[in-house]
Amino acid sequence: MIIVVGAGPAGLAAAKSAASKGCHVTVIDSQARGGGQYWRHQTEVSGYKSNRSIDYLHELQQNILITHITGAQVWSAEKLGDGYQLNYLQGGVEKKISGQKIILTTGAYDRTLPFPGWTTSGVMTPGGAQSLLKGHGVVAGKTIVVSGTGPFLLPVATALAKNGARVEIIEAQSPLRWALSPLALLLNPGKFPELIHYVSAILRLKIKVSFGSAVTGYHNGEVNISKVRSNLSIRKKNVRSATADVVATGWGFLPDVTLGGILGCAQTLDRDETVIFAVDREQRASVQNIWIAGEATGIGGADLALAEGAIAGLSAAGSRIPMALIWKRFTKRLFARALQRSYPVGAGWQQWLTDETVICRCEEVSCQEVIESVQELGAEDARTSKLFTRAGMGLCQGRVCSRNVSDLVASTTKCAVSRNERLAASNRPIAAPISLGVLGDGIAG
Amino acid sequence: MKSPDAIVIGAGIVGASCALSLTNAGLNVLVIDRGSVSSGTTGAGEGNILVSDKDPGPELTLALRSRDLWFEMQEDVGDYFELEAKGGVVVARHDDSALMKLASHQREHGVDAQVVGQAELHNLEPYLHPEFHSGVFYPQDAQCQPMLAAAHVIRTVIARGGQFISQAKVTEVLVKDSQVYGIQTSKGKFLAPIVINATGTWAGEIARMAGSDLPIAPRRGFILVTEPAPQYISHKVYDSDYVANVASSDADLQTSTVVEGTRSGTILIGASRERVGFDGSKNVEILRKLAAQATSLFPVLRDVQLLRAYHGFRPYAPDHLPVVGEDAQVKGLWHSAGHEGAGIGLAPGSAALITDEILGRPSFMDASAFSPARFAMAKV
Repeated sequence: MIIVVGAGPAGLAAAKSAASKGCHVTVIDSQARGGGQYWRHQTEVSGYKSNRSIDYLHELQQNILITHITGAQVWSAEKLGDGYQLNYLQGGVEKKISGQKIILTTGAYDRTLPFPGWTTSGVMTPGGAQSLLKGHGVVAGKTIVVSGTGPFLLPVATALAKNGARVEIIEAQSPLRWALSPLALLLNPGKFPELIHYVSAILRLKIKVSFGSAVTGYHNGEVNISKVRSNLSIRKKNVRSATADVVATGWGFLPDVTLGGILGCAQTLDRDETVIFAVDREQRASVQNIWIAGEATGIGGADLALAEGAIAGLSAAGSRIPMALIWKRFTKRLFARALQRSYPVGAGWQQWLTDETVICRCEEVSCQEVIESVQELGAEDARTSKLFTRAGMGLCQGRVCSRNVSDLVASTTKCAVSRNERLAASNRPIAAPISLGVLGDGIAG
Repeated sequence: MKSPDAIVIGAGIVGASCALSLTNAGLNVLVIDRGSVSSGTTGAGEGNILVSDKDPGPELTLALRSRDLWFEMQEDVGDYFELEAKGGVVVARHDDSALMKLASHQREHGVDAQVVGQAELHNLEPYLHPEFHSGVFYPQDAQCQPMLAAAHVIRTVIARGGQFISQAKVTEVLVKDSQVYGIQTSKGKFLAPIVINATGTWAGEIARMAGSDLPIAPRRGFILVTEPAPQYISHKVYDSDYVANVASSDADLQTSTVVEGTRSGTILIGASRERVGFDGSKNVEILRKLAAQATSLFPVLRDVQLLRAYHGFRPYAPDHLPVVGEDAQVKGLWHSAGHEGAGIGLAPGSAALITDEILGRPSFMDASAFSPARFAMAKV
């Protein structure tokens, strides 16, 4: 049996293609419904062309070769004989599932950058605002500033506006950066109607858009907006302010690499130093009988995830990969590379901070404390700084802040963040919190 | 750069304490580490400063003195590392005779070991499982934040004229006519007539570079960290099996549980003992056993979420005693290593022993039991 972890685009494509070759597949996912963060709710707010998901979700529900385990949090994984065992929590009870082959499609979460006021109420990620809307039908606020960088701001902003919010988009990068990637645009003509779709929605919904700007402060409903350079350093501070009851700010995505890390799959750094998994031509990880597809092998969006998932599913089923699929993945990867080039996240955000700005929100560690841990106590990397300040030791286990802490420590020591530090920071032995009672009850025999 | 009087290899708590003690004795000290401060076993430590888990003998004498030196170090360096005499409570699940015998033996050797009955025990630890009806309270047991301690001690050394060089890997220990005269590192050569090997699990490697030999091996220990919880646990609480485990040379996995709260509200569950090489593999079964033992001590912990787990490698010698003293073959090469799970607690005491010996002044105890020469003699 093949176990697919995650029911987003990559996981659904993997399950569908493996089942098409007659394999039994179990898809295990933390949500009650399939589709992942992107497709979870098939409503009109899902974004451009999200009706593609119908075929895949239909397959998930109807194909007798596919079993769907919902509401399952995989907290750890172990090698078991020549296969693997996944330990997961479902409704407060621990369960185990084992299989010969694993396809990991664990997706990604919003990347956050700190700014004065980012921990106050009213600030959330675009993904958070989208989940509220899709999952609970709640529009996060009356007046919403959607800010940060990347194309994901568009579906979030338009969906919020469609549901009655007054929305403004503040994009840090200039759209002219797309001129750097002519080949990617040429090979992905399907992206143009998508762009037209969003541009017309923005015009129709009267969404104000500004480029080359960022939210660099938020206090009591007042949003401070500064002009920024492409590396996010400040060109002109506080050029204007806006009032908003919600600021949804996101800086692209970070892959969730925890589970693959527990299984010992080799990680590497993407061009923008994001930790991803190293996979071969057929999406095979470094560990035998594990495939990885989707955002965990590099942020690229649903189209790339679908191609990678399909390839992983076929490979796990022992089938030949059609050239057309390889070509599709190639063009989508090219587009993903263009996304990185068009929406870079430089280290200039550190200029937005004051001494008191919190950098680790779980443990309430300030920027100043991290800098002092370097200057006064001799911390030279995020790990030592963490031991001194507790930055990254809280509930989220550094998922939100560890990359930012690394960058802040590096600018203080005036050294680049080492490859090993980036990789080590993503290493977490427990993929989801588990109560001690449940954990202890699971003792074998 | 001025040539130092002594070089300390290792910026964990053992090396840092040595550097401070030598600096305070008037020596100019250079501290070298292949990483940064606290980047080895100190960074994975719980911060135990225990007298309760020691059998009467030289290690207990060292532990008692060392515990007091921790508080002197706090006076000297400043109150920066969360040093706290929180006290230990040791309980026995079924038969408490071994525990009571040990406690009475410890009392004869200067340990404050107070036998507590049912009512008093549950007064000390209200959330303890009701099946525990007796125990021993050790008010001297203390705790610190070891990474902060090492960092502030090194900072004090630097403020008093010492130096610290990080990210310098030792590649050679320079020896001529059985006398050490310096080290070669990835950041250059440093000369001094005294070199102190405080490299924990890597101590054997440094000894070999000097042409000597030190049988120090790593032992893996796990620590579980929970989400912040209400203050359920007031002391360091552990099962009396722990005492037996420390002296065990059984290579099989044995787990025993030390449970304690921290200032940040997280609960630490530690002390699995397993002898392995330097492989960092995680083992879900160890996590489960530690969790089961912790919840059997404190049922209230059943609903507390585990956030993370980490492991470190404890350096130990075959006889489970620390190695503190001058090398048997190479003059000027001193070792302070092999403290196993007690390195934080024994660090300042070991530093005092080495400083006293180097200066030729009388010390608080006879340190021959810790001499590196004991292994050479065992071979003959």
